[in-house]
Amino acid sequence: MSDTGFFQKLPRALPGLALIVITMVVIRNWLEPWMTNAVVFGTKGWLVKVTHLNYILLGIIMGMLYRNVVFGGKMPDVLSDGFKLSRLMIKTGIILLGSLYTFNAIVQLGSMAIFLIGGFVILTIIMVLWFGTMLGLDRSMIGVMANALSVCGVTAAVATSPGVEAKASHVAYAIATILGFGILTMFISPFIGHALGLSDLQYGAWIGTGILNSGQVLAAALAFNPNVAPGTAVSVAEIWNIMRVISIPFAVFAVTVWYWSGKEETEGGKRKGLGTLLVEKFPVFVIGFLGMVFLTSMGAFGDVGLKGGPAASETIKMMRLWMTWIFGFGLVGLGGYIDFKELRQAGGAPLKLGLIVGVTKYVLALVVVFLIKDYLVAI
Amino acid sequence: MEFKNIVVAVDGSEASQEALNHAVELARQSKCALTGFFIIDGGWPDFIGNDWQSSKGARQEFLDYIFKEQESQAEAARMQFEIAAEDINDRRFSILAGDPAEILIAQANAADTGMLVVGQRIFQVSGRPSLRSLSKRLVAKATRPLTLFP
Repeated sequence: MSDTGFFQKLPRALPGLALIVITMVVIRNWLEPWMTNAVVFGTKGWLVKVTHLNYILLGIIMGMLYRNVVFGGKMPDVLSDGFKLSRLMIKTGIILLGSLYTFNAIVQLGSMAIFLIGGFVILTIIMVLWFGTMLGLDRSMIGVMANALSVCGVTAAVATSPGVEAKASHVAYAIATILGFGILTMFISPFIGHALGLSDLQYGAWIGTGILNSGQVLAAALAFNPNVAPGTAVSVAEIWNIMRVISIPFAVFAVTVWYWSGKEETEGGKRKGLGTLLVEKFPVFVIGFLGMVFLTSMGAFGDVGLKGGPAASETIKMMRLWMTWIFGFGLVGLGGYIDFKELRQAGGAPLKLGLIVGVTKYVLALVVVFLIKDYLVAI
Repeated sequence: MEFKNIVVAVDGSEASQEALNHAVELARQSKCALTGFFIIDGGWPDFIGNDWQSSKGARQEFLDYIFKEQESQAEAARMQFEIAAEDINDRRFSILAGDPAEILIAQANAADTGMLVVGQRIFQVSGRPSLRSLSKRLVAKATRPLTLFP
C-alpha cells in the first residue's frame, strides 16, 4: 500500500464518498419523512414508532445492503477508499461532540462512568478468564476475548492480539462474535429502552456499558434519540465509551501480564510495559475530544445550552447539526464493513463464550442502571 | 486421463495433507508438472474495517502481526509441499496474496490448470470465518477438473 497523504487519497475516495453522501441525503430528506407519514396497519408513522428506524439505523442498513446485496459481498475497489474515510468521519464527529460538555459536566458524568465502566471491565475480564478456562479455550483466545468483551470490542481485540500471540483464526472468530452480538444489540436496544421507558441518561449509561462494540454504541444511542445535545443518549453513551477507550492500554497490560505469567517469553520478550502501551495504544482522538471540551468550557463557541442555563449559541447549534450529518455519513460507511458471510460462519467455543458473557453483561448493565438510577445525575 | 499440470492448494496444516498426497501421486502417474500454492489472505484490513477507534499505529501493528503469522504459515506450506513432492522434478511452489476465494476460483478456471486438487478445509488456518465456505464457492464456479478432499 502506498504511503500517500490525505489530499493525494482524496480523488480516489470521491466515488465512495459521493455514494455515502447521496445515500444519507436521500434518507434524511425523503425516506425518513416518508416513513414518518406513511400509514401502515392503520397507524400513521408505524414504521418509525414501532421499528424505531431513524436515519442512523437506515444509514447502517443501507451500508450493509450495498456490501452484501448490491455488490455481492465485497465493496468494489472504486468505492472502497471512500468507505475507508467513514472511520475518519466518526472520529471527527466524536471530537466535535466535545462541544456538548463543559469540564464540570465531564467531571459529573465521568465520575459515574469510571465507577460503572471500571467495575464492568474488571468483572468481565474475570468472568471471561474463568469461563474460557472452563470451556478449554486456548490461552491466547481467552486473552483476546477477555479484552474484546470487557473493553470495546474489535478495537480491544486488535490492540490485544499481538501481545498474547493470538492465532489469526482466534482473532477472527472473536471479532465475528463481537460484531454479530453488537449488531443484534444495536437493533434491539432502542426497542427495549423505549419499552422500559428509560430516560436518555439511563439508556446512554446502559448501552455505554452493555454493548460490546463502540460503533454500535454510537448507533444505538442515536437510534434511541437522534438529537445531539447535552443530556441526550449520545452525549451520555459517548462519555461512557470514551472511558472504555481510555482503559484499553490498562486492560491490554493486565491481560498480557496474565497471559505471560508462568510462560517463557520468546524472541526477546514480547510483553510491553504500561508506558509503551499507553504511547502505542492510546487513541489520539480522545485528546481532540478533550481539547474540544476545553475550548467549550472557555466559551470559545458561546453558550452550550445546558439545562436551566442560557440557550445554545448559533455556532453550537450549527456544530450539532453538522454532527448529525457527519455521524450519518460515517455510519453508512461503517455499515459497508459488515459482511454477512463472516458473521454467518462464526461459531464454536468463541461464540459460546461471547454469548454467555455478552448477554450477562448486557442484562446486568441494565439491572445496575435501574438500581443506581437515583445516583445518575443529568447534565 | 493424462494431465499437463496438477495444481494443489497447500496451507501447511493437516487440512491440505491428503489433497497434497493425492496431487503428488497423480503427478507421478501422469508424469506431469506439479504446482503448489499458498494464499496470504489480503482480506484483513477490510475485515477489521468496522473498528474506527484504533490509532493508526495499533491498527498497523495488528496487520503486520497477522501478515507475519501468515508468512510463517506460508513457509510451513512450502516445507509440506517440498517434503511430499521431493521426487517430482517438474515442481514449483508459489506464495500468492489477495482474496483466497478469488484466487482459488481463478486457479480453478485457468487454462494451464490440468486439475485443481483442494482440501475442503483449506486456508481455514488464515482465520476469517468466511473461508469455511471456500470449497462450496469453488465447486459452484470451477470450470477445470476439480478434486475436493474432506
